[in-house]
Amino acid sequence: MTTKIKNNKKTKVSKIIMMICLSIVAVIQIFPLIWLLDFSLASSNELFTTGLLIIPKKIQWGNYVKAFVDGNFLLYLKNSLLINGLSLVLVICISIITAFATTRMIWKLKTAVKTFLLLGMMIPIHATLLPNYIIYDRVGLTDTIWALLIPYVAFSLPQGLFLTSGFMEAIPKELEEAALIDGCGVYRIILIIIAPLMKSSVATVAIMTYLNNWNEFMMASTYLRSKTWKTLPFSVLEFTGQYSSDYAVQFAVMALTALPAIIIYIILNKHITKGVAMGAVKG
Amino acid sequence: MKKKLLSALIMVMLSISLVACGGNQMNSDSDSTQSQTDNENASEEIITIHVFTGLADRKTGTGLIEEILFEQYMKENPNIKIEVEALDGETYKTKFKAYATSSEMPDLLGVWGQPAFINEIIDAGLLAELNPEDYKDYGFVKGALDGFSKDGKLYGLPRSTDIMGFYYNKAIFEENGWEVPKTYNELIELAGKIREAGLIPVSMDGADKWPLAIYLNDLIAKIDGDNGDKISQSIANGDFSDPTYKKAAELLRKSVEAGLFQNGFETTDYATAFNLFANGQAAMYYMGNWEMSIATNPDVLPEIRENIGVFAMPEVEGGKGKVTDIAAWNGVGYSISANSPVKEEAIKLLNYMMKPENLSKLTWQNGVGMSAQDYSGYLTGDETVPQKIFTNILMEATSITGTPINDLGTSAFKTVCEDLCQELAIGAITPEEFIQKLEEATK
Amino acid sequence: MKKLYSNKWIILSLVIPGIITFVFAILTPILLSLYYSLTDFAGIGKANFIGFENYKNLIKDKVFWVSLRNSLFLALGFIFIQHPIAIITAAILDKLQGKAEGFFRTIYFIPNVISVAIIAYLWKFIYNPNFGLLNNILKLFGYTNEINWLGKGMAIWSVIIVLIWHGFGWGMLIYYAGIKNINPILYEVAAIDGADAKTTFLKITLPLMKPVIQVNVTLAIIAALKQMETVYLLTNGGPGNETQFLANYLYKQAFNSFKYGYGNAISVVFIIICLASTIILNKIFSEKEYA
Repeated sequence: MTTKIKNNKKTKVSKIIMMICLSIVAVIQIFPLIWLLDFSLASSNELFTTGLLIIPKKIQWGNYVKAFVDGNFLLYLKNSLLINGLSLVLVICISIITAFATTRMIWKLKTAVKTFLLLGMMIPIHATLLPNYIIYDRVGLTDTIWALLIPYVAFSLPQGLFLTSGFMEAIPKELEEAALIDGCGVYRIILIIIAPLMKSSVATVAIMTYLNNWNEFMMASTYLRSKTWKTLPFSVLEFTGQYSSDYAVQFAVMALTALPAIIIYIILNKHITKGVAMGAVKG
Repeated sequence: MKKKLLSALIMVMLSISLVACGGNQMNSDSDSTQSQTDNENASEEIITIHVFTGLADRKTGTGLIEEILFEQYMKENPNIKIEVEALDGETYKTKFKAYATSSEMPDLLGVWGQPAFINEIIDAGLLAELNPEDYKDYGFVKGALDGFSKDGKLYGLPRSTDIMGFYYNKAIFEENGWEVPKTYNELIELAGKIREAGLIPVSMDGADKWPLAIYLNDLIAKIDGDNGDKISQSIANGDFSDPTYKKAAELLRKSVEAGLFQNGFETTDYATAFNLFANGQAAMYYMGNWEMSIATNPDVLPEIRENIGVFAMPEVEGGKGKVTDIAAWNGVGYSISANSPVKEEAIKLLNYMMKPENLSKLTWQNGVGMSAQDYSGYLTGDETVPQKIFTNILMEATSITGTPINDLGTSAFKTVCEDLCQELAIGAITPEEFIQKLEEATK
Repeated sequence: MKKLYSNKWIILSLVIPGIITFVFAILTPILLSLYYSLTDFAGIGKANFIGFENYKNLIKDKVFWVSLRNSLFLALGFIFIQHPIAIITAAILDKLQGKAEGFFRTIYFIPNVISVAIIAYLWKFIYNPNFGLLNNILKLFGYTNEINWLGKGMAIWSVIIVLIWHGFGWGMLIYYAGIKNINPILYEVAAIDGADAKTTFLKITLPLMKPVIQVNVTLAIIAALKQMETVYLLTNGGPGNETQFLANYLYKQAFNSFKYGYGNAISVVFIIICLASTIILNKIFSEKEYA
């Protein structure tokens, strides 16, 4: 009896310690963002105080208005969503058909081709920054959406292929055989039998691709020049020049630009957790 | 069944490739219309002029002046559309070089009329030749076009006369009973007092490195006086054995050791250095006259912007130079891309901007800087303090340094020279090593 | 089935999109890089063939070695700071149930989804020696010296801290998933045997996590080699070249110094290093498994 109580006490204490540990890590992870939010609502010279957080003398919603309007927020958000969406779809489609060809179809070179494509996983995207600049320039792709789509798709593809072909191998062949007997062609098999079974791995590929490309801006800043296709990070980059003497507005634009990604994350929280987990454990 | 699917797939692929081709088609269409408009009298066709400028702030300063002029020009010429891409300082230079390697330079370009920046691109034939006759009546000051010319040909026009100085906060100085230093030692002593008062003596943009190089050059001018093209010669010959260089390097290092600049100046970027001064954290700020609009900038607190004073780099004890041997040059300006499809129109726009009554006058009247043209006709006597002082400094100058040391060599020399200035300032290398590495960099 | 599955035209139609993308976006640029790396191309003007001159200079280039050293530091930072904290956090998180678990997991991962551009600028402010958050925190504890976090000698560690912070959620999540995959019966058996939390963690969790740890370590090393964006915005390799990384250095050489050929030589070596380290790591780990 007494030992049980002791145990209970012990678990309670250890639970509290556990919570404290987790909270410390949580504070470290989140506090900089709270700080950002706090000063984005203050006026610029309030930043030069010594406290950690402040209560702004007057809440400056105007900072966000400036950030929203002058940061081309909607345009860049639309571009980011479009470019990321398109590369997602392309990566998924190409991954699945290539995976099918290299795991199911019967041909001599299939292992060689697959290995060759998988090599792409190890190649750093920035190593192609310089030569691609010249290629796109000569072909006339600079300042078009293709200048971003092509490298984004190409560098997410190997990983996509890796994940999808891993899953595909686990799908029993009997299903296809049955479909074949019904007179289905290969494309139909991929579309009707295989693709629906790949849902979870498709989600993983989608999340990995999204996380890879949402952050990218070196390519974007080198290959683009007009506003037409610029992506969200540019809100921040352009703003620091435009409002160099107004820190609060810079904070506002940073907070505003971070928002879409955080919202997407919170909505897709479960799937992202699962996706990352699957990608990593399988990888 | 199979065939149907195959054809469906082919259709999809085709449509994708059509979209791709469509994109290209549109591009080439617009290209051809652009070149057509050069021939036709283009009252209906819209001509787009791409402007690439290093003035990212479009709401104050010279960036605002550009915007005003572009607006005016588009109003007067309804067939012209001006598209501006504006980037900040170092980002601008990087992107400019990326453009230089491509076939599609923007049409009107912000440039620096200094060897490190302009020589390589002139040699590569990237800049359009301008006709000097066009600018006879533009009132450019003597020598202002030199940096933009090579082998007797003109490739650009200067936008400003740049002068370096110390901005200082008069209110803080008066409160504490500090005097404007007459000599460099006084400046160092003053730095100690300012530190004791819990303030930053001089706010310095050390992250971008070039202000440190210019500071060094300013010291060289005070040590050496009017030294002609000695620095250019030193770079050409790879010989920095002249004691002036070592003395200037030692002085820069000594200043840092004495705490003249803020802690972490080597990581403070342009905007932060400005803001430290503009928010009253620093008593002084070493920067060029292009920041004189701080005196009218609405983002700066009135108690600060209304109390701005300026002084030139003080005389160095034992130096030959006087306070009137100043660090100044005609650096920034504009050029036209040689391969621009709308070259003629871009030159027209440039000529419009540079008319004395446009950029030069507006720059002066808005208190954002000093043009490279004769602006004496626009003096009213109601100018801001920095305007008056900088004009005085220029009028009374006994010698002018011209292009600073970092911009006198190739672009590779510039990169190394600026890195070295920073390393010297933070004490990563000694003045001796600095001289030695500088010599290596010229080879 | 066999006949249909070996139809060459169908195979071709399936692999062509992937191969075209790969060839156009990865292979061609690499070959072009290889070509330029053998020239003195400045980006503008003519390119002269100069053989392996660029590579010879690269080996002599101190900054190149500093970049590699920084990648190594970063990888060690990931492996010995980020990962241990991540594993322990994941293990504790696994013990929690209900809402708190999801709450913490969400918070840990948030920095990870925020764009690098924002992260870098934010940390520039945090590190600012004159009015930054970090020095303000130290002031609360009575430490009033203004530390220059991005200054000489400190900068590389400050950069590594940002990267550890930014990627923490990712690492944590992967370990968390790994722990979730462990059969709970093992824990029950351990509990019956009277093992405490520490022994359970050391004797059951860690050994079973071995494959996950190996994957994570590989990913960390590759990520450390590929680092570019954060450094570009936070320090751009400075002060001097103390925080230089390969990707940033090649960019600087090509576009700031007009050394396009040299930049491409760095690109080529960069690729070789990434390929080689992946292969070596895979070898090491697979050998160990059989041993």
